Amino acid sequence: MAGLSLKHIYKKYPGGVVAVSDFNLEIKDKEFIIMVGPSGCGKSTTLRMIAGLEEISSGELYIGDRLVNDVAPKDRDIAMVFQNYALYPHMTVFDNMAFGLKLRKTPKDEIKRRVEEAARILDIAHLLDRKPKALSGGQRQRVALGRAIVREPKVFLLDEPLSNLDAKLRAQMRTELSKLHQRLGTTFIYVTHDQTEAMTMGDRIVVMKDGLIQQVDTPQHLYDLPCNMFVAGFIGSPQMNFIESVIVKEGDRYLVEFGSEDTKTRRGVKYRIPLPAAKIEGKGLEEYVGKEVIMGIRPEDVHDEPRLLEEFADCKVTANVEVTELMGAETFLYLNVEGFNFTARVEPTSTAHPGDTIEVALENVKIHLFDKDTERTICN
Amino acid sequence: MSNRMFQGIIHQMKDAIDRTVGIVDESLTVIACSDLGRVGERAAISVEAFIGEGTFVLDGYTYMPFGEQPHCEYVLFVEGTDDNAVRYASLLAVSLSNIKQYYDEKYDRGNFIKNVILDNILPGDIYLKARELHFNSDVCRVVLLIRIHSHTDVSAFDVVQNLFPDKAKDFVININESDIALVKEIRSGIDSKDLEKLARSIVDTLGSEFYTQASVGIGTAVERIKDLASSFKEAQVALEVGKVFDNEHPIIRYDHLGVARLIYQLPTTMCEMFLREVFKKGSIESLDQETLFTIQKFFENNLNVSETSRKLFVHRNTLVYRLEKIKRLTGLDLREFDDAIVFKVALMVKKYLSANPVKY
Repeated sequence: MAGLSLKHIYKKYPGGVVAVSDFNLEIKDKEFIIMVGPSGCGKSTTLRMIAGLEEISSGELYIGDRLVNDVAPKDRDIAMVFQNYALYPHMTVFDNMAFGLKLRKTPKDEIKRRVEEAARILDIAHLLDRKPKALSGGQRQRVALGRAIVREPKVFLLDEPLSNLDAKLRAQMRTELSKLHQRLGTTFIYVTHDQTEAMTMGDRIVVMKDGLIQQVDTPQHLYDLPCNMFVAGFIGSPQMNFIESVIVKEGDRYLVEFGSEDTKTRRGVKYRIPLPAAKIEGKGLEEYVGKEVIMGIRPEDVHDEPRLLEEFADCKVTANVEVTELMGAETFLYLNVEGFNFTARVEPTSTAHPGDTIEVALENVKIHLFDKDTERTICN
Repeated sequence: MSNRMFQGIIHQMKDAIDRTVGIVDESLTVIACSDLGRVGERAAISVEAFIGEGTFVLDGYTYMPFGEQPHCEYVLFVEGTDDNAVRYASLLAVSLSNIKQYYDEKYDRGNFIKNVILDNILPGDIYLKARELHFNSDVCRVVLLIRIHSHTDVSAFDVVQNLFPDKAKDFVININESDIALVKEIRSGIDSKDLEKLARSIVDTLGSEFYTQASVGIGTAVERIKDLASSFKEAQVALEVGKVFDNEHPIIRYDHLGVARLIYQLPTTMCEMFLREVFKKGSIESLDQETLFTIQKFFENNLNVSETSRKLFVHRNTLVYRLEKIKRLTGLDLREFDDAIVFKVALMVKKYLSANPVKY
């Protein structure tokens, strides 16, 4: 078992492309860490650098206490599972899992012990005599995992291993992987672009963009306290609503103002949402007074229930319902408020229909504010 | 080699030595015998018999393994245990081994494909040979060239061969110590994304299972067997051009090389002339790394000043200042599409000249 330490890691390709910049991260032993971000953000490159399949341009990588920058991949005590795994079609599941060990001249009885142990952990012992074409997608995925497990590594590196599975199977395999992590008690580093996978599986999440770490935190903290607009928008589905607003001050009170009122014609409406004092205390909001900011609010913090409309009476806005989506346990309302698009996650009992004009309340204690230029968080 | 062929030779041998002669294969079955009634019988020997080199005697017969060492594919037996039987067995094993080798070389489809892709066979002979080998010459195939960058103790060739074990459709050929060609039968009209996925699965398997770093060049799909040579050359070009212009991606498709392919085909003298015409003397050399990085980001962001400055974490005016400086030095205003395209091509040409790739 081992922790990892990545210090000022850079990946620069000869052509000048910088894939990863100043990547610093301490990964604890037995931790399940997720690297998430859009395509091209450098997450897979980072994983491949840890694996030794990409050279580190500068910086230091430690696995346990050992500096491994110049250590060959096979000597790093790691195992990898990639998205596009291929099983050997003419071999049985047993042989598929044993093939790597056989080529490394591992003794036969040791191979048997390791394969049977891995099969037991993955619950595929009954499939050992089958060929890949007789397996379902999920079973094949387990065999691919089994090939990594038989190596008994200190660290598992997984690069979007569930991307090729359908949605239902992916959800099932997410749980399986979490269980597997608990059973093996090994460090897992998992790369994905799917924020749902990141939120549900990881102890901590590393959010990346353009080769840079944006934020490293637990899933709940990332969701509640994003450090910038990118993290706020990337984590959460449906994503956070962003509205261009202005901070105004009335006496001691700070308000977020948005809307489309034309100062000459007085057409349209401007809304002012008061910000709770506790929320903005010590956040230096004074310097933003009169300036444009971005207000963020999660869909579940936009309410249409009468009780909540009453509770947040000074945070009400009038919205046109454009589309409704009944999801079973909840309903998504796609709203238009003075030209701004809002998504609301409401109770399935909501009576809103497309074309209706309704009132919704923005739960002001849950509002996030972002600097319009730097996109950094002003307050969460 | 077919059992029928063995049977024919065995009969002639029997006529010469007047003793029962036969051949056992690895499944311990008699596949050819001068005593026809014994064909299909299970032999009395064990699998260990295929490993040894010399003759051995069992139940009134003399046995001798033959084929490729150390694990032979066949064992020959001759009736009798006397000295003559031992001599006959040794002699017949040598001739059968040579006949088999000749047959394998002549009728080896892998060898044939290797000759086709390496242009070692006359175009006119391709179809004759294909017919002789019962080779379906009009199916869609593609050549993928796998280049191994980091050598490990595991043979990448074995891995790729095991990934594509259907020897009737797929051919894995060792080109040199770092390159392996895969000639793969594909369905007609296959999406190039699927080919990329296939290549990705090879790279990922080599990486994840055997810690081997590899890249794959993909030629275009061809319908006729004689076009396999061009598909192979395209895969080679893809890898070479990719090494210069797209070194961060391990999968390079020939049909995606775009302008890079055109530049690769230009003579170097013409490239040098172009650079001299575009840039005033020494102007390109006067651009420092930071400026070149700025230019690259500006191109990546489709000449959008605001977006580029945001990505570079610099103020918009700083970027504008840098672009002005480039204009002053080179005479090219990168905010103008025409100038930008000239600059982009010139940078690629420069990169190509300094990389000096192998020409195919």
